[in-house]
Amino acid sequence: MNFLQIQRSITGIQPEIIFNVFDFPFSNTTLMLSLIAVILFVASYWGVSSFKWKSTRVQALTEMFYEGVVSLLNQITGSPKLSEKILPLIGALLVFIGLSNLMGLIIPGLTSITYDGVSVFRTPTADFNTTFGLAVASILLTHLVSIRDWGFFGHLGKFFQFKEVYIGFKKSPKEGVMAIIGFFIGLLDVVGEFAKIVSLSLRLFGNMYAGEVLMLVIFGGLAYALPSLWVAMSLLSALVQAVVFSLLVAAYYTLAVKPTTQEVG
Amino acid sequence: MELESARLIAKAMTMTIAMAGAAIGEGFLIGKALEAIGRNPEVEGSIFTKMIIGVAMTESTAIYAFVAFFLL
Repeated sequence: MNFLQIQRSITGIQPEIIFNVFDFPFSNTTLMLSLIAVILFVASYWGVSSFKWKSTRVQALTEMFYEGVVSLLNQITGSPKLSEKILPLIGALLVFIGLSNLMGLIIPGLTSITYDGVSVFRTPTADFNTTFGLAVASILLTHLVSIRDWGFFGHLGKFFQFKEVYIGFKKSPKEGVMAIIGFFIGLLDVVGEFAKIVSLSLRLFGNMYAGEVLMLVIFGGLAYALPSLWVAMSLLSALVQAVVFSLLVAAYYTLAVKPTTQEVG
Repeated sequence: MELESARLIAKAMTMTIAMAGAAIGEGFLIGKALEAIGRNPEVEGSIFTKMIIGVAMTESTAIYAFVAFFLL
């Protein structure tokens, strides 16, 4: 049954190293990341340098995208000032992760270019290193912003609530017991921070990697009309995962900063 | 019990229990979203967006089990 099915071995979890430059390994994920970076740089430079007052089609699309992202962010942060401040971060995450997820599906045959039996390009988000790096960087950023807004001891005071225990016991014993419960909840928040990193990275990695593996399994079954269903599902899930990652980072950022008071104009 | 058979049983039980839980949760969520749309049809776009995001979050626990399946 060799013309109805395509048999390939399932890609491993670790990326394969293509070549070394002065002891620095270049894996297939790195090559595809460089390709995406070059494409995004060229596209954004060419797009922005052609902005005029009377908008062309490309500029209208960019403005639609901008309005969409800002309206989504407004629903999460609840304050237009904060959403304009974090728009560069969230927009960059959205475009980068969306393009990384979609690139292997939109350009046919990009991930099949092989060199020595190993594919040269590999979806970057199907590699746990990429998603782990993105998640750690985003959560570290929320911690740094929290330190900048609340001060170093204010930030630690969110997790180790000694001051609330002291204030609670001064009011009444009952308040003191509640404050001790709050102290233990604050300690659990430390575990929650690590859970945020693990859940962010594993969600994105699991969706993309499992999508690739399932695609290989379906090709092993029947290579003719059936894979199109799974490709359609992969397109949808690529966009949804990009949106979910970016919106979750926006939500964690909003929880970390001091709440901005609405100025009644 | 040998290692290979224990590993196969663990793989099967992880996947089925996780997928059952995720399917029940997602069905509940989508049912509530449809009910809310039926009550107030003019906020359909907003509710649909939030429902998609909710489904992605619920599906993530099933995806963790899928990753564990490949690691086992």
